Amino acid sequence: MNWRFALLALGGFAVVYFALVVCGVVPLESLAKMIQSAVGSPAGWRNTLRQATPLLILGAAVFVALRAGLFNIGADGQFVMGAMSGTAVALANPGPVGMVLGMVSGALVGALWALPAGWIKAYRGGHEVITTIMLNNIARVLSLWMVTGIMKDPDEQAATTKYLPTETLLPLIYREKALQINLALLLGIAAVIGLWFYLKKTVSGYELEATGGNPTAARFAGIAVKQVTLKAMCLSGALAGFAGALQVLAYEERFYGGFSGGVGFDALGVALLAAGSPIALLPSALLFGIIAQGTTALSLDGVPKGMSGILLGVLIIVFAAYRYRKEAARD
Amino acid sequence: MIDPLVILFGLASIQGLTLLTSALTLSSPLILAALGGLCSERSGVVNIGLEGKMLGAACAAGIVGQLSGNPVLAVLAGIGVGTALSLLHALLTQTFRMDHIISGMGINALAVGGTSLIAKTLSNQLSGRMASFPIFIYWVAAWTAVVGIWWYLKSTRGGLRLNAVGNDPDKARQMGVNPVHVRLFALLWTGIFCGLGGTLIVTNAGSFSDEMTAGRGYIALAALILGGWRPIPTLLACLAFGFFEAINLQMQGQSFFGQTIPREFWQSLPYLVTLVALAGFLGKNKPPSGLGRP
Repeated sequence: MNWRFALLALGGFAVVYFALVVCGVVPLESLAKMIQSAVGSPAGWRNTLRQATPLLILGAAVFVALRAGLFNIGADGQFVMGAMSGTAVALANPGPVGMVLGMVSGALVGALWALPAGWIKAYRGGHEVITTIMLNNIARVLSLWMVTGIMKDPDEQAATTKYLPTETLLPLIYREKALQINLALLLGIAAVIGLWFYLKKTVSGYELEATGGNPTAARFAGIAVKQVTLKAMCLSGALAGFAGALQVLAYEERFYGGFSGGVGFDALGVALLAAGSPIALLPSALLFGIIAQGTTALSLDGVPKGMSGILLGVLIIVFAAYRYRKEAARD
Repeated sequence: MIDPLVILFGLASIQGLTLLTSALTLSSPLILAALGGLCSERSGVVNIGLEGKMLGAACAAGIVGQLSGNPVLAVLAGIGVGTALSLLHALLTQTFRMDHIISGMGINALAVGGTSLIAKTLSNQLSGRMASFPIFIYWVAAWTAVVGIWWYLKSTRGGLRLNAVGNDPDKARQMGVNPVHVRLFALLWTGIFCGLGGTLIVTNAGSFSDEMTAGRGYIALAALILGGWRPIPTLLACLAFGFFEAINLQMQGQSFFGQTIPREFWQSLPYLVTLVALAGFLGKNKPPSGLGRP
């Protein structure tokens, strides 16, 4: 099995190498430059961590659903709805109150947006992949309607809300020269550690993982599988909505049309790479952040942004193959 | 003198006819992709990679159609890339025993990035509309394929084997059917159908643009699940999605009883209807029981 994996890894590297050659740059040099620009300077770290923050929390959202045996493709829609409601609430209540209420409403609306999917899955047997895809599309349409309608800043041409006042925004916790770290990152890490504690140390979390592992066995062990499914989906939605609200309150400072940019789908990759342990979400999200930031830097050399998709695809496949090779060896 | 009823009926049927053709046009790529998904999922391979396979095919067909001006080459390129991505999926899930959803997501990411990169680097050599066959041919292909697959699954040896592998790979193995071979074959067809679907999407648009499949692969997957992994109900689900999309295009800006209904309502109608249908009665469809198993 080993040589097969080596071949796959080599193939993946060849794809990346070839893609960089097609772009007209020197491949190894630009890969080094990519990493250098993402983690080689304080400014690079700032951008990388900024990119990694929503991925981390969204990754946690997808992860908790996965542990309950649910595939939450809907993180993207829940993220958008959380961001939109967070913006609306924060705009209505300036100051720290708006900041806190914005985060709470983001999480609540995210959970509400996941509720139909969870309910249909638990009580009607409808597949969560379909329902969350539908809810994503509805969220996209609804948010565009809101942001071109009642939430639109009348002074702006584009579909965007007003900017939040500075005192409503999340503060920086660290600021030294170019390196700035927002409180959002800390909240994200706290969410991941909280999730770890919940899954590994509480009865409710144990029930969730048992349901995901084998629903029939869980039912015979006296676990209310339907409620657990509903709960897991809502928890996942709440995390995704929370990530959306944080994105507004920490980085974007407003809500606009096409807000997510597909970050909810990247989060699927983050969660799938992390596999078994919530703590593994941290390096996984960081890796995705490095790729996002590194390819942004490469685009200055004329490398199209499609490079990030290629890198992500290759990494997801190679890492997954590596992990399954280990699992196969254990069997 | 003409009977007013006749006029009314005539008007309604003209409206209805444009609605019908538009629904057929919009549902054809969905039908092709959903059939691709059907082949793969009935053999036990979860296929979330339909989107990426269609996107890859759309890019290849669009670029080759523009560069060569030859519709045959364009379709072949589309099918070729769709099949290549599908065989990569087969390699990852069967040889490397990788999780089907993870490998599907990986393929999607590769396709989004790869197509965007290639289209960007070739952008100054590409111009004009791609060469292509008339849309009509794709309709015929899609509908024939539905009937073909229905017949194949129901009454051929190969179809029964495909089903057996999808339902219980272990038993199939004991009966002397090699699941890997059956799935390789099934995924080959998935690639062909996704290739056609992607080619059709780019044919409709005239040239490739980034992420032009716009989630149709996921909608096709939804139609497949709604249709309970059966060819004819899946076809109906795809038609329903196409029909709602057509209604959305026709009804925009029209008023009812003096009220203008926002465009966004019509846009989200198909998704809302799907949700309600699932909440009401369509949720109990049972997937092939070997889905996702090695």
